[in-house]
Amino acid sequence: MLTIEVEERGDVSLVRIGGSVDGLTAGDLLERLTAELARGRTRLVGSFADVEYTSSAGLRVLLAVLKDARGRGGDLRLAAVRREVYRVLDLAGFAGILKIYDDVDAAVASFAA
Amino acid sequence: MTGSAPRSRVALVIGSGGVKCAAALGLQQALHDAGIEVDMVVGCSGGSLYAAVTALGFTLEEAKAATLKLWTREVTAQRNRRALLQLLFPRVFGFSEAWGFREDGLILERLHTAFGDRTFADARIPLHLTATDFRTGEQVVLSQGPLVPAIRASIAVPFIFAPYRVDGRLLVDGFLSDPLPINVAMREGASVIVAMGFESPYQTAVRTPARFAFQLSSIMTNNLLKSRFAFHNAAHHAEVILVVPEFEQRVGLFDTWKIPYVIDEGRRAAERHIPYIRRLLGAGRTA
Repeated sequence: MLTIEVEERGDVSLVRIGGSVDGLTAGDLLERLTAELARGRTRLVGSFADVEYTSSAGLRVLLAVLKDARGRGGDLRLAAVRREVYRVLDLAGFAGILKIYDDVDAAVASFAA
Repeated sequence: MTGSAPRSRVALVIGSGGVKCAAALGLQQALHDAGIEVDMVVGCSGGSLYAAVTALGFTLEEAKAATLKLWTREVTAQRNRRALLQLLFPRVFGFSEAWGFREDGLILERLHTAFGDRTFADARIPLHLTATDFRTGEQVVLSQGPLVPAIRASIAVPFIFAPYRVDGRLLVDGFLSDPLPINVAMREGASVIVAMGFESPYQTAVRTPARFAFQLSSIMTNNLLKSRFAFHNAAHHAEVILVVPEFEQRVGLFDTWKIPYVIDEGRRAAERHIPYIRRLLGAGRTA
């Protein structure tokens, strides 16, 4: 199960994601994030506070959106990632290529820096 | 036009990790209790022992008993006296690539006790064990022939056990090419890969050359684990479910008395993933 809520904070789209980012939900997540990019909202913050689970298919969506956002001059940054999810992100190399913040406010503010 | 999707092929991959690899028995039990069938098993280094007992159909108790007897501190207690001389005076004592600080007689004897003359063909489900070609660094996948030489090669821990020759190739521990060889499961057609991996522990204090070497080994191994996993994870369409047990107690290379605790942690880690695996397989499609 996946929940997605988008909130606009200035020119940053804060995407609150909840549940499981996996092979069964990857399509929905890709669709929502790509829709944001398509309407010119290329500065994305993914709030992972409520993400309980992730698998390789979910990670591949993040990678695709990251590439797309950067290709459009924006970025995808993550915030409030739970420890067990962070561990998977770290092992999969995401901690080295994504900017990850402790909380949503810091992630949103980072775009102003 | 519609067609029924092919059934997902589920692979269990057990990475290197010494005694921690016993956590795979907890994972196997969790999968079994959930009615999730595994179609192939891949093992590397210490994981090769647990991959073998799983593929051969050992019960949890049989597997626990076999590995408790097999992997104890005594297996590395017998020093290879010539090794130190070969290290100090390589030309005089004839240093060769088949070099290790410990004799391998006891580990071979125990492997024979556990596995006898069984071969890969005796496995109930396809079994693949990985080692590394000493000369070229290539990953070598062992899938046929007798099990004992394959496991011995897969656990040829550098500096401890000498590289081991299988089918004419000199092989060293599988972790040197990939500590978590999910690529083998991908190549063999798995669409859902349940991978149990372990990061090598870092030393709390480095006051001996051995600890210094272990520390460097852990740094390299952990970085290799991440880089290989990152590549396979991103590059392939298979769904990889990474199961990483959390050990609050430190588990040393030969802490076999901690095996029951390790198995429990493996099961606990696995149970987090069971609902998703069931949904994924029930959905009849792969990611």
